[in-house]
Amino acid sequence: MKFSLILGITTCFSVALADQETLVLVDNLNIRETHSQFFKSLQDRGYSLTIKLADDANLLLSKYGEYLYKNLIIFAPSVVEFGGQIDTEIITKFIDDGGNVLVAGNAASGDVYREIATECGFEMDEESAAVIDHFNYDILDDGDHTRIVVSPKNLINAPTIVGMHNTQPILFEGTGIILDKENSLVLPILTADSTAYSYNPKSQVKEYPHAVGKKTVLIAALQARNNARIIYSGSLFFFSDEAFNSPVAKVQGDKVKSDLSGNKALAVHLSEWAFGERGQLRVRRVHHHRQGEKESSNTYTITDTVVYKIEIEELKNGKWQPFEANDVQLEFVRIDPFIRTTLRNKGNGVYESIFKVPDVWGVYQFKVDYDRTGYTRLYHTTQVSVRPLQHTQYERFIPSAYPYYVSAFSMMIGVFLFSFVFLYYKEDTPKSKMRCVYIFKLSPQHSDIQDGSV
Amino acid sequence: MPYLSSEKQLTFIKLAVLSMAAILSFATRLFSVLRFESVIHEFDPYFNYRTTRYLTEEGFYKFHNWFDDQAWYPLGRIIGGTIYPGLMVTSATLYNIMQFLNITIDIRNVCVFLAPFFSSLTTIVTYLLTKELKDEGAGLVAAAMIAIVPGYISRSVAGSYDNEGIAIFCMLLTYYFWIKAVNTGTILWATMTALAYFYMVSSWGGYVFLINLIPLHVLALMMLGRFSARVYVAYSTLYCVGTILSMQISFVGFQPVQSSEHMLALGTFGLCQLYAFAQYLRAHLSPANFELLFNTLVTTLLATLGTAVVVLTVTGKISPWTGRFYSLLDPSYAKNHIPIIASVSEHQPTSWSSFYFDLQVLVFLFPAGLYFCFSKLTDANIFIILYGVLSIYFAGVMVRLMLVLAPVMCIVSGVATSSLLSLHVKDIEPKVEKHDKKKKHENNLVFRSEVGALFVCVLGCLLTSYVFHCTWVTSEAYSSPSIVLSARSNDGSRIIFDDFREAYTWLKMNTPEDAKVMSWWDYGYQITAMANRTVIVDNNTWNNTHISRVGQAMASTEERAYEIMRELDVDYVLVIFGGLVGYSSDDINKFLWMVRIGGSTDRGAHIRESDYYTPAGEFRIDGDGSQTLLNCLMYKMSYYKFGQVYTEGGRPPGYDRVRAAEIGNKEFNLEVLEEAYTTDHWLVRIYKVKPLPNRGA
Repeated sequence: MKFSLILGITTCFSVALADQETLVLVDNLNIRETHSQFFKSLQDRGYSLTIKLADDANLLLSKYGEYLYKNLIIFAPSVVEFGGQIDTEIITKFIDDGGNVLVAGNAASGDVYREIATECGFEMDEESAAVIDHFNYDILDDGDHTRIVVSPKNLINAPTIVGMHNTQPILFEGTGIILDKENSLVLPILTADSTAYSYNPKSQVKEYPHAVGKKTVLIAALQARNNARIIYSGSLFFFSDEAFNSPVAKVQGDKVKSDLSGNKALAVHLSEWAFGERGQLRVRRVHHHRQGEKESSNTYTITDTVVYKIEIEELKNGKWQPFEANDVQLEFVRIDPFIRTTLRNKGNGVYESIFKVPDVWGVYQFKVDYDRTGYTRLYHTTQVSVRPLQHTQYERFIPSAYPYYVSAFSMMIGVFLFSFVFLYYKEDTPKSKMRCVYIFKLSPQHSDIQDGSV
Repeated sequence: MPYLSSEKQLTFIKLAVLSMAAILSFATRLFSVLRFESVIHEFDPYFNYRTTRYLTEEGFYKFHNWFDDQAWYPLGRIIGGTIYPGLMVTSATLYNIMQFLNITIDIRNVCVFLAPFFSSLTTIVTYLLTKELKDEGAGLVAAAMIAIVPGYISRSVAGSYDNEGIAIFCMLLTYYFWIKAVNTGTILWATMTALAYFYMVSSWGGYVFLINLIPLHVLALMMLGRFSARVYVAYSTLYCVGTILSMQISFVGFQPVQSSEHMLALGTFGLCQLYAFAQYLRAHLSPANFELLFNTLVTTLLATLGTAVVVLTVTGKISPWTGRFYSLLDPSYAKNHIPIIASVSEHQPTSWSSFYFDLQVLVFLFPAGLYFCFSKLTDANIFIILYGVLSIYFAGVMVRLMLVLAPVMCIVSGVATSSLLSLHVKDIEPKVEKHDKKKKHENNLVFRSEVGALFVCVLGCLLTSYVFHCTWVTSEAYSSPSIVLSARSNDGSRIIFDDFREAYTWLKMNTPEDAKVMSWWDYGYQITAMANRTVIVDNNTWNNTHISRVGQAMASTEERAYEIMRELDVDYVLVIFGGLVGYSSDDINKFLWMVRIGGSTDRGAHIRESDYYTPAGEFRIDGDGSQTLLNCLMYKMSYYKFGQVYTEGGRPPGYDRVRAAEIGNKEFNLEVLEEAYTTDHWLVRIYKVKPLPNRGA
């Protein structure tokens, strides 16, 4: 008993630990110092960070088919090629197997960055290009207008990702990203103002810039279909202690001033989301049954009343707790949805809907597709058959058919009576002779056989 | 047999001939079992087999209410209400009887041997029917002929577990009872006819032929002035009892009183009553009065009937003529209007050579038999003449109806052979007598005897060649199970291609139980029966739109096909490809039908047949072929990685042995599919539909 308890606790602990294993790849170990606040916030939340140089020859993501880390942070803009066994292919595979990735680059980041970005549905601007905004630069800017001030209004409207209280302006210095229009999964977390553009600040603008205005995304995110999360920031500076502690003062325009930038709060929130501390949902239980019955069934009959219940949980502070919302919808689908209804929140994370199965038979699916920005995509289908009435389930007597019943039964009685009349009717002529003749006439063969056998 | 009287000897010989014919008809159908194994053949039999298994396992009521969610995903199919249950009930009954007698036979073997067993019964019924028409000799000849006629064997070899296998027996039984009923005029025989008719209705949709032929017979008798009380009793009883019984089959339902195919029977029934009533009045009225009454009645009735028919057709109470029936009357109808009907090979018009192939000497004996029927016209002979002429016409329209023609060919030929033989054998036999009278009638007698002998010889040769031909056809053409293929290798030995079962077993063992498999509808029944997986469409082609959707997927580019496949929740796609071994009835050869059927609905309007031809109007799969064809899903699935394979010496890689061409699009990758399994000889290729890309498009 005691042993098993201990074993259980250790297993829990190790599972928890495995989720927190994080590999940090850096250009130089100096980053440990310049970004100490960010790393500390992670360590405070229980992540064990393994900080390594990006070109370390012994880099490993997985060993014997098991991943050593759950999360990957890449803070190595100047890396030309990763060391050890890590390359773009391994990283994308890591994502496809459920790993979370946080990437931050800057104007100098190389082709490896571009490759990772492309794999995730982003596009990074050319080397040495940076986001320039001549109207929204910080007072500490060195003249290129690349240290820009971004209003928290430009953040995506998704509290799960960016947190609730972002009021401080945000400092950003780095390259711009544009999103793949075809890709429906990418999210622009932070976009630049309409006056911004992305170009090499040292050279004259000769061609149309790669990204202009609001299309210039500063921080982008991707939640893959397997719920792996990727944050891609164009700026490594954004995560630095310098940005965290720096006051903000805009030179132009509304001259926004703030004693402290909003970077720290945002960076912490982003990392919380990226590493799955928030916005994680799961389906705990699904149950459906005919109204008035307890047992679940795979088969319903048309026009049955069905009760569908789904229990959804959210990960909060490391614990699965009931998820509360009022916009979870259920569809009853056979190629097209026949029924689409909002599930009623019954409290305690249970959502319920009672509806009448359509009068069309076929194979249907109960489909809950809860896709909200920042949350795990909740997609749950249950296949059931809807069958037509059985031969015992039809109405026995239909009122409109009464004339037919009457005619049928009267006919039966009539034939019954008539057979009596026919059999016992006496004609006036001598009966024996007459009957004989009659039988002979009716069935000549019969009489032949009788003759033969007698 | 010195101890038996000549009468008993005759009976013994008759019995011997008949039982030998019956045994022969069973034995000759066993080629496929001996050569391969006891398996179910073709496509439809697999469905029948599956439903029979369900019936024996679950009982009749569950079977009757069976809603099959494995077919026609996601529409499903109500099996109980959309099949003719006669076949399944018959074999389940046989199975249960045998189980009761402690004969532990597998239900599969019951199914495999049901058709041969019923052809034995058919042989006996043919004997009875022909006996009723002519005499016992003709009956025996007809029985011997039907035992081995290829036109019937083609649908009743062991393993060919299909409705037709028992339906021909039911049909001939109904005819036999009908002739009996007409000849005797008793209610008993007429009721037996109705019962046999009910069995026929319960087992095959071809009962429509029967319910039109019998009224036609009655009409013909009426016109020839042969209508009598016997016919009246027989037909009235048959129609009333038969119709009520036939309506008990839920698939038939109210059709006997609503659809136009059954209207001839209803009309004739009405006419019978009128005719009988008119006869009755004529007997009781003066001719002048009768004339007046008759004319008034006829005019009123015709007017009422005409109005009623028009009103009912307009309101839709009388269903419009269905496509299958139109194609009987006008062979080009289906081809022009309903691709799904035209695409079925057994719905094609019959070529003249297949008449000879399936009937051989019967083709020549048939006119002679008709002559003998005409020369001694009876009520029964009129029936057989009508049956013969009508079925010849229908067999010419549709290959499948050769089956209906074969029995009447045998009967009429039996009549002919027997008449001719008895005519001429008589001339040879009394040789001694002839010797005595030789001097008196020299010329005449010698000539007759020689001609008689010669004639008997010739006929004997013809009949012997018939036997050889039938056995050869049965062995070579009709005994391959089509689920297992065989071919001759260079050294003459037999090679077996068991790819179909290999693929279905793979599906059964390696895919999730609720996986949905998309294939062209031909393979639907086999997939559900053998792999136990859900299919999108199958051989019960009841929903044209759904089949069309699959056709569209096959004929579209990968991207478009992916949308359709996701809409239908497809997990696996199965194609048949014969290019490696030279199996010609593969999906590429069927592809134009997919295009036609795919393009025949609104949602497939963008698929045009002409896009798949070269500018010269050819269907080519090589480099000159149309780009639409070379990039469609079916092409890619068939020829994926085929471009690196050497198939024949002296040919470039990627040489398709069926189309005899080097494929035109060799280097391509599949975007939305991945190859899951390809069988040994590449006959069946299975692809898995990839999920949406994890990191977005």
